[in-house]
Amino acid sequence: MKEVFHSVSLIEEKCIGCTKCLMNCPVEAIRIKNGKAVIYDDKCIDCGECIRVCPYGAHVSKGITLNETAGYKVKVLIPSVTLYPQFGQEINPEEVNKALLSLGFDEVFDITFSCDVKAEILRKEIKKVEKPAISTLCPSIIRLIEKDFPSLNDHVVKMLTPIEISAVLIREKYCKMGYKENEIGIFFLTPCPSWITKIKELKYNEKIGFDGAIAISDIYPKLLKVLNKSSNKNYRKISKTGLLWAFSGGQSQAIGMDNFLAVDGIKNAIKLFNDVENGKIKDVDYVEAYACTRGCLGGLFLIENPFNAERIAKKIIANGEFSYKVELHDEFQSKFAREDILKINTKFADDFESAVKMIKNMNKIINMLPGTDCGLCGSPSCRAFAEDVVKGLASLVDCKFIKDGGE
Amino acid sequence: MQELLSIKYDVESGDFIRGGEASSSIKKLLQQLGIKADIIKRICVACYEAEMNIVIHSLGGYIEAKIFNNKIEIVAKDKGPGIENIDLAMKEGYSTAPEYAREMGFGGGMGLPNMKKSCDEFYIESKIGEYTEVRMVVYF
Repeated sequence: MKEVFHSVSLIEEKCIGCTKCLMNCPVEAIRIKNGKAVIYDDKCIDCGECIRVCPYGAHVSKGITLNETAGYKVKVLIPSVTLYPQFGQEINPEEVNKALLSLGFDEVFDITFSCDVKAEILRKEIKKVEKPAISTLCPSIIRLIEKDFPSLNDHVVKMLTPIEISAVLIREKYCKMGYKENEIGIFFLTPCPSWITKIKELKYNEKIGFDGAIAISDIYPKLLKVLNKSSNKNYRKISKTGLLWAFSGGQSQAIGMDNFLAVDGIKNAIKLFNDVENGKIKDVDYVEAYACTRGCLGGLFLIENPFNAERIAKKIIANGEFSYKVELHDEFQSKFAREDILKINTKFADDFESAVKMIKNMNKIINMLPGTDCGLCGSPSCRAFAEDVVKGLASLVDCKFIKDGGE
Repeated sequence: MQELLSIKYDVESGDFIRGGEASSSIKKLLQQLGIKADIIKRICVACYEAEMNIVIHSLGGYIEAKIFNNKIEIVAKDKGPGIENIDLAMKEGYSTAPEYAREMGFGGGMGLPNMKKSCDEFYIESKIGEYTEVRMVVYF
C-alpha cells in the first residue's frame, strides 16, 4: 500500500488541550491525550479545519519558503487561479504573473491553459463514469472518498487536476530543451494545506514530480510590494474560462454543464456522498466538491474574504478577452489520466471474526456511555470513544460519566 | 450458519429528514468489518430503498442487519397497510406513493425492483392492514 502523507501538524508547546479542534474536526481525526491534541494519521484528510479553529495557533501546515526553492537550474512557479482575486479590487492577472516572476522564478506558468485543457477532456471523461460524475480539484475530498466512500470510485473522473497537468507539461517542455530531471524545479503556489500534502506526495510521482508547494499567504507581502495594481484591467494572455476554476460551480460553468451540483464544506460533502451512495441523487450529471466554503477561494492560505474574492474573480473574468483553443489529441487523454483512487482501509481487524467481536464490544460500550459527547475523555463523541476503547487507543476509565455496569 | 451480530434500527413513519440513517450506519458497520466496497454499495442501495419505503408507506417499523460469516441479511419490517398485490408492486414503474412523496422525488415505482436487483436473495411477505416484511441477502 502507498504511504499516506500529511502536512497538518501540531506545535505541542502552543496547544493547551482545549477541545476546539477535537469538536470541529469533520472526520473525528483528533483526540486530546495528556492535555495535548493528537492527530490520527489514518483519519486526517488535511482539510485544515483544525488550523482554522485553533485559538492558539497550535495547528499548522507549512509549505516551503522562497529560499528553499534554490538549487535548480530552472525554476517554474504554477500559481493557483485563486491568487488573482486576492487584492481587494479587480486587477490585471498578467500583472500578478509579472510580479511573481520578479520574485526569482524563470517562468510563471499560466495555469489557465491547463484548466482549459482539462475542461476539454473533462467533457468526454464525464461520460465514461457512473452518474453522477464526481470531479474535484480538492485532495481532501479525494482522501475523504478513499477513506469513507470507496464505493464511489466508479463515479470519480479519472483525470489529473489542472495543477498536475501543468507540472507534466512543464517537465516535458524543459526535458525537451535538454534539462535533466533534477535540474527542473516545479513549485505550486497553493491556497490550502490540502495541496501542500498532495505536493509532498507527488514529489515521488515519476510522471508529475513536483518539487514543493508555497503557501500564498507566505508570498503575499512580497508580492504586494512589486505588484502594479493600476495598469489596464483588460488582459489577453490569460484564459477567462480558466479563471472560473477558482470557485465552487466554476468547473461546471467552464465545461458548459447545466445539470450539476457544486458542494462545498466537508460536512456537506459527506452528506451528499452518503446520498449518492444510497442512490438518492439520480438525475444529476456532475458533482463538484470542495472541502472549503465556496470552493478553493475559501482556502486557508488566502487573504481575501472568500465571498468578496468570488465577486472580484467574476469581475476579472468579465474583463478577459480570450480562452485557449485546445485541440484534443488522443495522446492527451492518456497523458493526463489518473489511476483509480486508493482504497484506504477503515476495517477494525484483518480477520472478519475479530472485527465482529470488536463491533459487538463497541456496541456494548456505547450503551454504557452517557451519549452527551462532552469530549472530556479526549474523544470527540461517545461513539468515537467506544471505537477508541476497542482499538486499544483509550481506556474505559477515561469516561467520567460511565453508567452503572461499567468497570 | 450461525448469526454473529445483529443490529436493529427503528425507522419512523414520515421522517424524511432522518430516513437514510439506518442505511448509513449499516454502511459504516460493513466498512469496519472490511467488506468490499462494491458489495457495500449494493447493500446500501437496497437498504436505503427499504428504509424509505417504511418512511413513506407505513406507520413505522425497523431495519435489522444480521451479519453471518459469509453474508448479510437485512430485514425491513413495518406496521402498516401491507401490499395488496405483490406481483404488481414488483413491476418497475408501479407506485402507490402519495403525491407529496413523489414531489420529493420518491415513489418512482422503482423501489422494490431495485432492491431485488441489488441483492442475491429477496423475500417479501405482507398481510393487508397489518405489515410488510422484506428480507434481503447479500453474500460477501
